[in-house]
Amino acid sequence: MLAREVRILFRKEWRQLVRSRGAMLTALLLPIILLVIVPGLQMLGMKTGAAKPVNLPPGVTLPPGMRELVDDPVAMMRAMMVPFIALGGLIVPSVTASYILITERESRTLELLVALPVRVGQILLAKLLALLALASLVTLVLFSVDAVLILGLGIGSPGYVLALLAVLLTSLTFSTTSALLVSLLARDFRTANNINGLLIGPTILVCFVVTLVVPGPYLSSLLLAALFAVGSGAATFVAMKVVTFERLLR
Amino acid sequence: MPGAGCKAGPAWYVRREWEDGRLAPNEHVPLEVSSVTKVYPGGVQALDQVSFRISPGERACLLGPNGAGKTTLIRLLTGALRPSSGRVSLFGLGVEDPGFLQAKRRVGIVPQSPGMYRDLTVDDFLQLVRDLYGSGNIPEVVEAFGLAPFRTRRMAELSGGMQRRLSMAAALVSSPEVLLLDEPTVGLDPVATREVHTFLRKVMPGRTVLLCTHNLAEAEALCESAVILRQGKVLLHERIATLRQRIQPVLVLRATQGPERLAEALTGQGLAFTHEAEAVLVHVADAAAQAPGLLRHLLGAGLDVYECRVVTPSLEDLFLDVVGANDARA
Repeated sequence: MLAREVRILFRKEWRQLVRSRGAMLTALLLPIILLVIVPGLQMLGMKTGAAKPVNLPPGVTLPPGMRELVDDPVAMMRAMMVPFIALGGLIVPSVTASYILITERESRTLELLVALPVRVGQILLAKLLALLALASLVTLVLFSVDAVLILGLGIGSPGYVLALLAVLLTSLTFSTTSALLVSLLARDFRTANNINGLLIGPTILVCFVVTLVVPGPYLSSLLLAALFAVGSGAATFVAMKVVTFERLLR
Repeated sequence: MPGAGCKAGPAWYVRREWEDGRLAPNEHVPLEVSSVTKVYPGGVQALDQVSFRISPGERACLLGPNGAGKTTLIRLLTGALRPSSGRVSLFGLGVEDPGFLQAKRRVGIVPQSPGMYRDLTVDDFLQLVRDLYGSGNIPEVVEAFGLAPFRTRRMAELSGGMQRRLSMAAALVSSPEVLLLDEPTVGLDPVATREVHTFLRKVMPGRTVLLCTHNLAEAEALCESAVILRQGKVLLHERIATLRQRIQPVLVLRATQGPERLAEALTGQGLAFTHEAEAVLVHVADAAAQAPGLLRHLLGAGLDVYECRVVTPSLEDLFLDVVGANDARA
């Protein structure tokens, strides 16, 4: 059960997020492209007969994650959905966190909150929850479109959809916790964006490497989900170590 | 409790009759700082073994040169920072105590020139404040602080003076017993400063107040005691009236014959005096008793004395005396 103060602060954060066109636009635009438009068009393309078996030259060997492609052209779609879903989960929180935390610091409005009868941890928790709520709402709604397409077009099984959902949820958690950490470390928007770039760039690379190296989308999804879960734990641990109000108020 | 012992008038304008700082049974000191040391990450020591307590009904100002640790102390009192050692408490409860928020609800805090939300209106913010305090009358403070025409305006769109009024209105929504004011007039023009002083004069009586300020005239006009900090240490905590007794009043004398002739006539009277431009400043223990005799002596010596007035030491003089002129950039 959340403390009364956290619920009140959450409502404030949510109201501010919904009123912020910039935050809403960035929270919606990229995920729509990554989670709906790109995979949706590919899936529809697959089913219009454009997909053909891969004709490999003799002696060329595909990486483990792509081997199914020789027998089943839809396997490529299934494999590539994994990093796309992960990207969708990674991007929303990192962008929104910059707004929700760093704007408050840059505009010195945190001083107003500190003056009220709330604890520092409650302020941060309300922000974190608002961040998670927006990111989950956006990505889960968009993911449901993917799920309908995957199941409706026969591209994957319900188990495959669940594996993708695990990737989405863990990537969301990882991105939220690391975004919190970045927002605590960065002094301004530019630094936050730079650190986010440094963090998300290699993460995206890891997603594609896992997709290529690990055989089958089930296994690659589960491995990525596990990696994101470990990353979330690490980011939370470090954030708890560095989270002091001195850092937020400086 | 808010509202106890109030006379007629709005809730935020409560007046209470305190018993000269004495505590009732089971009553805790509103603000207490005990042996507090604060060292920031990086090793910067802001406070060193600071101790003082503000009694119920006391109106104290927190003075000190830049870097003395005033803002750190206010942040410790609000619970935003935690001391490296020692204890800070509101009504006997420290930030680590489960009931700390209950104690904080009895304190209204006006932060030092805070930022204003671009996406919240005045009403949104006051509603948030009331929800967090759990009580309060928004229409009353809106009316009292002249915010009625601005209720639907975004906070960041208010002028500096109106923003400061909003901060004070927010601090008074729940009619708290204690007010913590962190430089409430810094950065305001003279008109807005005067407005803030007028509001403060209305709301301070009957409340326990700690006013952190750089403006010594403001502190003198609004407070009755002073806590002076320097280099993270409390130099003193005394009533301003008691502090005044530390410095003798000065008798300012001017004569048409000039300060040199005045000085000549004063020599041999057993008084310490100094020159300042065209005047001679005579340090006297009891101006009312000594001035008439001195004036008669000077007139008898043929001097045309056209000015003879007593100057009592201001808080600025007291501050300079305590802190030392070299550090007195308060």
